[in-house]
Amino acid sequence: MRWLPFELHTHTPHSDGTHSLLEMCRVAAELGLEGIALTDHNTVSGLADAEAVSRQTGIAIIPGMEWTTFYGHMLTLGAPYCEWRDLGPDDIHKGIARVHEQGGIVGIAHPYSFGSPICTGCHWDYTVSDWNQIDYMEVWHETMPSMKNHNVPAFRQWTELLNQGYRISATAGRDWHRSDPADPLAAYTYIGLPDAPLPHSLTDLIAAIRQGRLCLSMGPLLEVSLNLGADQYGLGSVVPLPVREAHPEAELTVKITGSPRPERPWGAEGGSLIIIDSNLGELAKVPAIEYDGLPIPLTTAGLRWLRVRLFGTINGILTTIACTNAVYFANEQQHEE
Amino acid sequence: MPKDIIAVEGKLTPLSSKTHITYQFHLEHALSSLEIDFRYAPKQFLDREASKPLILEAIENFADPAWAELYKKQWENYYPLQNLLTLSLDSPSGFRGSAHRHAPEQRHMICPDGSKTSPGFIAGDVPSGVWKVTISVHCVVTPDCRYELLVRGTDQ
Repeated sequence: MRWLPFELHTHTPHSDGTHSLLEMCRVAAELGLEGIALTDHNTVSGLADAEAVSRQTGIAIIPGMEWTTFYGHMLTLGAPYCEWRDLGPDDIHKGIARVHEQGGIVGIAHPYSFGSPICTGCHWDYTVSDWNQIDYMEVWHETMPSMKNHNVPAFRQWTELLNQGYRISATAGRDWHRSDPADPLAAYTYIGLPDAPLPHSLTDLIAAIRQGRLCLSMGPLLEVSLNLGADQYGLGSVVPLPVREAHPEAELTVKITGSPRPERPWGAEGGSLIIIDSNLGELAKVPAIEYDGLPIPLTTAGLRWLRVRLFGTINGILTTIACTNAVYFANEQQHEE
Repeated sequence: MPKDIIAVEGKLTPLSSKTHITYQFHLEHALSSLEIDFRYAPKQFLDREASKPLILEAIENFADPAWAELYKKQWENYYPLQNLLTLSLDSPSGFRGSAHRHAPEQRHMICPDGSKTSPGFIAGDVPSGVWKVTISVHCVVTPDCRYELLVRGTDQ
């Protein structure tokens, strides 16, 4: 599998951004990104330039949009324009179905931003009656996301939904409106893609995001492999119940690869910890430098999901440096898709 | 010379927040371009005393309770509040773009030439048939807010 860093929430002058798609993609390349999703507010007109810009900059561009509605902002990826103006606060599933029917996926953008009149529609107020229909949540929003207050409840809600058995992906999104070199760093969303020749198809990208082959990170990539006997499971995959039951003991390896970018020096060093979160709480908390790439023993009884966080110091502040999406465990109470 | 197709104005109050106003019109003939002028005022709500309770209420509604008091002390960070009205356009065959941006005075052109069509709108022919311009009233915070919308077309 090949892991590529993407920025999944961006704007241009086609809505209220100030950098053109070309300017943004040039800066994206300088920031070490391999791709972006263009998610202008309520329009797709900026995509007319996407092919030329992609060719010129080498940056992959996922077509998207940010539904910027009265009751919440919803990111769509891989679908053409889908209608939102006729939907009320209890109608979001009708809107989600429109996106899914067109082959796209949906994600709740910055669910806990302040809403109207401070930021119109920015707080998620739609009634979600079936969380299986939500493909992803933007749990890390803006620059330096692990330190932003409004991301704390978003991250918590994602965790609670995982606990309830939902399989929901999590992404980072800078909500990138302007290219200012003085801006603090944004997180990458690494996307795990098949070892196929570049460029990857849109279908592969959308499938990877939907499935949760994702690692949110301020720099280092966390590659996770859960080994139960001879079987290996990666992010977004589901361990079948008989496999879990046959293997009460498992081993998890986390390979930490630092970013080549000098402004993102964080990795296994510097006292960082590997933390394995799960529905049963923290399964392990070990020094990253000692366990980088080495097996961490786990017991599998009662697990519904686990994910890996790299916890350490950024600019003197203890925080999450990187966090993966989940590995899931099937069980009798699971919510089937 | 462009000729007028719609020239309307209206007055909104905070009750109009979260509503859409659609002007639907019929083009008898295809045009070479469509032009839209849109403005609304005021943009900012510059009444500090009247803004404070609105901001405090939003903080109460949206902030994590653990931090609400801290945010409330800093309520002026959110002053001044602003009105936000945005435009979108539908041609007889469907969605033709929108201008989700904050400027309270906007001029747009839609035509087959991508370099002349305004950002946010989809370049292409301007066929005959039923068109719609929608004003999405995301938020009106001022006691009243006036808008003007002028749609003009240029013959082929």
